[in-house]
Amino acid sequence: MAVGILLVTHSGIGSALVAVASGLLRNLPLKVEAFEVPFAGDPEALLPQASAALRKVDDGAGVLVLTDLYGATPSNLAARLARLGTPVRRVSALNLPMLLRVLNYPELPLDELPAVATAGARNGVVVDDA
Amino acid sequence: MIERELLVANKLGLHARATAKLVQALAPYRCNATLTAKGREVNAKSIMGVMLLAAGHGTPVVLRVEGEDAAAAVDAVAALFERRFDEDS
Repeated sequence: MAVGILLVTHSGIGSALVAVASGLLRNLPLKVEAFEVPFAGDPEALLPQASAALRKVDDGAGVLVLTDLYGATPSNLAARLARLGTPVRRVSALNLPMLLRVLNYPELPLDELPAVATAGARNGVVVDDA
Repeated sequence: MIERELLVANKLGLHARATAKLVQALAPYRCNATLTAKGREVNAKSIMGVMLLAAGHGTPVVLRVEGEDAAAAVDAVAALFERRFDEDS
């Protein structure tokens, strides 16, 4: 049983990252879905759709939810997903290095993935040493 | 432990797509593998680790592999480098 990955972000972000990751890796080793929240989106009204996206990637081993900005509406919506019953861990400040690193360790259980995601995101920052 | 010197010969260097192919080529093998370039040694099975080497076209790298299936792993990786990651035609 593999963990699923759900990206919950502002418009244009999650889908772009999934597209690039798919282009780089060709075969994604885990189920990945992107759920985007438009500026005019009502979190209450979006919850059923977000929940459906969560179910799409859930194989029984839980879902790692990656959000773009902690405290913003997509992240708050993700917080509600975490309380629905499916095991969920949330990590914010999603970036491409974070997503790639998580997909590099598809065999890990859910509770080990937040550290992997965090390390990926942080170590992805390289300040130009030129 | 097997050590093999390889050259990054493809035009774009060890960019993301090439690195993904390298990591995917090594994934089925149980051995430990590292890649060294420009004085830095990283886990060759880690996509972010290898990307941080930023090994461009013409960079010599050293592959070090340790484990029971090391020989097969080294051959697979060497072949991939030889084929220039199936990129340049």
